[in-house]
Amino acid sequence: MSGGAQKRNLTAGKMVSYAWNKLGVWLVFIILFILLAFANEKFLLPANLINVVRQICVNAVVALGATYVVLCGEIDLSQSSLAVLAGCGCAMLIMRAGMNIYLAMVISLAAGTVVGALMGLIVTKLRVQSFIATLGMQYALAGVVLLLTNSQPITGLPDSFAVFGRGYVGPIPVPSIILVIVFLIGAFVLKYTAFGRNVLAVGENPTAANLSGISVHRTKIAVFAIAGLMSAMGGLLLTARLSSGQPSSGSDLSLQALAAVFVGGASKGSVMNTLAGALIMGLINNGLNLMEVNAYWQKVALGFIIVGAVALDMFRSSHSGSKQ
Amino acid sequence: MQENYDENVLVLKGVCKEFPGVKALADVDLTIRRGEVHALVGENGAGKSTLMKILSGAYKKDGGTILFNGREVEIGTPKAAEKIGISIIHQELNLMGSLTVAENIFLGRQPRSRGIVQWKKMFDDAQALFQRLGIDEDVRRPVCELSIARQQMVEIAKAVSVDAKVVIMDEPTSSLTSRETEILFSIIGTLKEQGVAVIFITHRLEEIFRVADRLTVLRDGCYIGTREVKETTKDELIAMMIGRELTQQFPARNAEIGEVCLKVEHLSDGRRVRDVSFEVRHGEVVGFAGLVGSGRTETMRLIFGADKRRSGRILINGREAAMATTRDGIRSRIGFVTEDRKGEGLLLSLPVRFNITLVAIRKIQRMRMLNMKKEQQVSEDYVKSLHIATPSINQRVVYLSGGNQQKVVVAKWLFSDSEIVILDEPTRGIDVGAKREIYEIINRLASEGKAVIVVSSEMEEVMGISDRIIVMREGEVAGTVERKDFSQQRITEYAVGGTAS
Repeated sequence: MSGGAQKRNLTAGKMVSYAWNKLGVWLVFIILFILLAFANEKFLLPANLINVVRQICVNAVVALGATYVVLCGEIDLSQSSLAVLAGCGCAMLIMRAGMNIYLAMVISLAAGTVVGALMGLIVTKLRVQSFIATLGMQYALAGVVLLLTNSQPITGLPDSFAVFGRGYVGPIPVPSIILVIVFLIGAFVLKYTAFGRNVLAVGENPTAANLSGISVHRTKIAVFAIAGLMSAMGGLLLTARLSSGQPSSGSDLSLQALAAVFVGGASKGSVMNTLAGALIMGLINNGLNLMEVNAYWQKVALGFIIVGAVALDMFRSSHSGSKQ
Repeated sequence: MQENYDENVLVLKGVCKEFPGVKALADVDLTIRRGEVHALVGENGAGKSTLMKILSGAYKKDGGTILFNGREVEIGTPKAAEKIGISIIHQELNLMGSLTVAENIFLGRQPRSRGIVQWKKMFDDAQALFQRLGIDEDVRRPVCELSIARQQMVEIAKAVSVDAKVVIMDEPTSSLTSRETEILFSIIGTLKEQGVAVIFITHRLEEIFRVADRLTVLRDGCYIGTREVKETTKDELIAMMIGRELTQQFPARNAEIGEVCLKVEHLSDGRRVRDVSFEVRHGEVVGFAGLVGSGRTETMRLIFGADKRRSGRILINGREAAMATTRDGIRSRIGFVTEDRKGEGLLLSLPVRFNITLVAIRKIQRMRMLNMKKEQQVSEDYVKSLHIATPSINQRVVYLSGGNQQKVVVAKWLFSDSEIVILDEPTRGIDVGAKREIYEIINRLASEGKAVIVVSSEMEEVMGISDRIIVMREGEVAGTVERKDFSQQRITEYAVGGTAS
């Protein structure tokens, strides 16, 4: 235990903690980005980077909804089914009912919001724990999808619809533009509106929130409605990307979204952390692909990385928060 | 130290503990005699908890020595403390509600034979232990059916059952009624007779004079001194604690009492509040005294709209108010500083400024958007005017001391322009210096013409700050005492239902 070594450790540690305080989880993203840039020459190719962004769009949009639910102290496991329902439903409205695509999209988004609000009602008014309530809804909605589609994909969607999933404006993919817009709105609402404060307050201490005049039920119903809206939007992006409504697609969207939320550390109360979480997961996927790691091993690695990220975050916050 | 072997069971010399950036304990001495009750006193942040955590193995000391029965010991873990013979009873009880009393006492060390728990022996041992301590309770009952006071006795039995020579009690009376406190004191007496030393931490100075033999004062992590309780006066003790003479515990008030502001008529909830009527005027401070569980908090919750009332009317400035939800209470400009500030008043891991603007968030809104500049300015104003000690308005509330946390709650209700301010046990768990500041704030509220209600179980406090005291008993108003007639005896008689002489 030489004093010099300890001192050096301390300053290095200080620098890391300073950078962490300033950048938070984005520091992890940056480090990962640099590592991958050195590890594989293909990584920095524009085509590859655009691909990364394109691939995370669906997950990130759904994760934005999950962020609000998690910040409010609840969890939503039904997002994947709801996303697929909205995506396939929209495809059916266009292909089977011959509806105008924009009207079909608006109806799908509205339906997602209503189903989300319904979930909120079940959680608040019927007082079913959100884990159970949304787990049940996950099954029920998946069943509805199969009933509606008879488990058959709905193909032949027009290009004017597919553009939302695979189109470009110049070099920029359309879904990533949508992604940026919804995250800016999501971050703004959380930080600069009374509703955003209410979400944080209810998530932190529902009793105190109620005694401060905040309607806990109304706030929770609203966050589930937001999650429903974002699930539907994710489902539309997915359907547009595949140019077809696939009843069997996106089954692990809920969990991927939650992984992005927790890897990002949404407990810090920032929507942008979730975007970082989704990007980190996208980079890891991409990196493992570029390094030609076996797809099965990729899953194993991703699983451990998710658990490790949250454990690291817990370790860090328990140590920085140990005042007295 | 060998010469003191017979008398001193525990001797601490020059104990130090440092946290990043904070010297929590500097050179602290403490000597505990066999079979004595030793009060450990100090304001919040004086280092009492840190010292006790070192003794119970939760923290490791950075320096100094600990002698137990004359032998130097290292207390690295809670298990080690238990083995040495030091037990701690935390303020928050650590019991398993669905298990029986006996199971809780012998948790993890049930009498076993070849790995099978011997239930009969466990129950018998527990019952014998209770007998030894003079506790009358069925050890086969699940703990969750017991009152808080009874649960605490289970904790004490658990502590003693490991053959502890030193039992640390961290604010054991904070959630007890005065009758339950008496029972606790008699159990402490029994422990003493059996040669067990008790280290007693409390914020209620009267209790020290009731039960302790000696006391040690800590201040800002430093050892200030040890005294025989018999040879110490309360004023001396306070001076030792805060490092200066406290000229007057209750500052004088200069408020004009005006029209009736809040009028409550025949309020009932069908259970714990029965036919309560009273009124509070502008500029008046009305104290609510009574035993714990006499329905005071429940009454306040009904007035605020936190619970639904069965019958009765609430009039504010002569107009009847609905009060079905907390939002009704806030709309009627009532502020409610709750008893449990951490559980009900604060968003602990959110910053000070969020907490201050929580209720009246509309006031910092412009075009449905929050105006951060205004929030910052408002928060800084309250931090200044209420002397909230915080490095910044962005500090998370959890890092503030109890007194400063309480001021944040008060700021929240001031910012929402409360006209009626209800404070439920506003100084519980707050140190002497901060208490006086809370009293000053109460005075300021009254002189601004607000109607103030203070619910308090501390007799001196309620007599010191109220213009009038309403005493509750079993959900009813047992009596009202005007300032000129204030006496401890009179209030107690109303509270326990004794006959006035």
